[in-house]
Amino acid sequence: MVSLQVIASGQGEYLPPDADGFRRFIRDNKPRGQVEKLMPAAEAVQRFVQDGCYVAYDGSMGYKGPSTILREIIRQRKQGLWVGAGPGGLEIPLLVAAGCVTRVDVGWMNPGPTIQQALNEGRLKLVEWGNGGLSYRHLAGAMGVPFLPMRFIGGTDIFEHSGAKLVKDPFTGENIVLVPAIYPDVALIHVHQADRFGNARIFGPGYAPWERAASAKRVIISTEEIIEPQEIRRRPYLTTIPYYMADAVVHAPLGAYPGHMPGLYLGDRYHSVDLVEADYSGTIGEFLEKWVYSVASDEEMLEKVRQEPPREAAVRGLSRLTDMMLASSVKEAFGI
Amino acid sequence: MIDDHISFTETEQLTCQGARLMERGRSYFIAAGGPPSLAVVLGKRLYAPDLVYALGDGTIDPQPDFPPRKESTPYTRATAWADLNTVRFHATAGYMDYAVLEAIQVDQYGNFNTSMRGTDYQRPRRRFGGAGGANELASCCWRTILVMDLEKRRFVPKVDFITSPGYLDGSPGARERAGLPADTGPWRVVTDDALFGYDEESHRMEVLAVGQWTSLERVLQKMSFEPLVAKDLKVLEPPSLLELWCLRTEIDPERVQLAGLESDFVAPQGGWIRPGGQAGVMDEAAYVDMPASYQELLERRAREKKGT
Repeated sequence: MVSLQVIASGQGEYLPPDADGFRRFIRDNKPRGQVEKLMPAAEAVQRFVQDGCYVAYDGSMGYKGPSTILREIIRQRKQGLWVGAGPGGLEIPLLVAAGCVTRVDVGWMNPGPTIQQALNEGRLKLVEWGNGGLSYRHLAGAMGVPFLPMRFIGGTDIFEHSGAKLVKDPFTGENIVLVPAIYPDVALIHVHQADRFGNARIFGPGYAPWERAASAKRVIISTEEIIEPQEIRRRPYLTTIPYYMADAVVHAPLGAYPGHMPGLYLGDRYHSVDLVEADYSGTIGEFLEKWVYSVASDEEMLEKVRQEPPREAAVRGLSRLTDMMLASSVKEAFGI
Repeated sequence: MIDDHISFTETEQLTCQGARLMERGRSYFIAAGGPPSLAVVLGKRLYAPDLVYALGDGTIDPQPDFPPRKESTPYTRATAWADLNTVRFHATAGYMDYAVLEAIQVDQYGNFNTSMRGTDYQRPRRRFGGAGGANELASCCWRTILVMDLEKRRFVPKVDFITSPGYLDGSPGARERAGLPADTGPWRVVTDDALFGYDEESHRMEVLAVGQWTSLERVLQKMSFEPLVAKDLKVLEPPSLLELWCLRTEIDPERVQLAGLESDFVAPQGGWIRPGGQAGVMDEAAYVDMPASYQELLERRAREKKGT
């Protein structure tokens, strides 16, 4: 008989994995019926993203991420957020520069002067998990259990700066790493199609969209297309996230901009390069002003992008809004 | 001998050396982009057409277009678009033979760093992106191949931060004691000047081969720790015309990746750096004799092999 014995613990901070607390929240707050949840991005963020809360989101401003909702969070000047970047991208420096985010659970993020400076000044705290560690934590949350065993991060400084534990497995007597479940306050998931109740479809590889949705107390779905509920019932095998997890459905065409959305559009690398340049030249405040604060919504921002003068073709491989479209609809892209 | 017509960048050199390690019928787990993924793709085109690779985001066995088209993505014509957890389950279950990764620092036991420079975790001298998927890959794939530049500041006795595990402290069973799967670990380090492996007993890094354009002495000067040296030290051939042709005309004609946004070695646009460090431009004449098709390329390569 072997007992479960903790051999080593990481020093990273994490929210206690309160599986029963999560169950009670779900019992008391999530309607079981098919309820209409369509609303503008501004309302969704106002209602479901509070200062100081933990925000999980799937994808990044480079790929498949909920960029529209993230920009709205910046516009509403939310503060003290703890976010998971597994993997994240350019939205991390943007959120940090805007003063929204003070803690990041790191899988991967775009480094740069903004993050470096925030760390130097103690305005930003990091915890390490790796991409896999973070998505296992969401998987544990999605399963409603307090932790999961996994066969990585052991022995490294990632382990030291995570909240993981190394234990002796009571079944085999071998050592194994446990990571605590995460139950985020809110998850932001950008999808290809959703109906007004929140039944959602995502196409293309990566990352952990259903795990993030299923582990979160509140879920904001932003979607390229709104489809009819009977269309969901016609092909139920395509539903990635079931309606009862969703709290808000936001119609957000080009909602991953400037990121790439599989089948629909490529990334606008001009915009991303501008952001990187703004980061490195200390003008990220002006970037925020131009693309987030001075516009009321993403529709206005995209109109501004459309009116941008065309760039020189000198920088090869870069595309603009007009040039980045791959298909005009999910039907054209995937035949669905 | 180095052909007078051929010059190449360190990135191309890394990619071509890495490609030669690719084995038929094996599975490779990589992140999209950079020399490691270029090496796998080049190796698949030239040496091991039936190797398969998976990407950290969940893409399994893609067949992207070469040369890339506007709408090309790393996940085109995959056999599955899985997700991040699923491919980690596959690696944990033993399906992934090789991880191919890059690093900013590596130590003599193959532990490597992609997180930060400095000593204070919350106040790093310089913060990098982080582990991404590197930790899982280096933990759970059977073998790990690193592809990185040989430099004194990169090959260090102790990395600033162990992002991903090598043989940890080098002692027998160290990885297993840390909870990692048995029989896994670092296998090769591909650099622009030398190829490294690891001693089976001591788990210390060992020079296996040195570029014909340099010497063991110069290789050792580019390291901050002293590696073991293989008894039968081999010689690395420079990139072949075929490899460079394939890389430059098929895989990355726009030089999006070969130019290496973060590379220290980018020559003026359109140029390449010669092994001696002198910048040059690939002679147009070098293209004249290029094979008309991939099939012809393979046939020619087979003939070349027979001849030598």
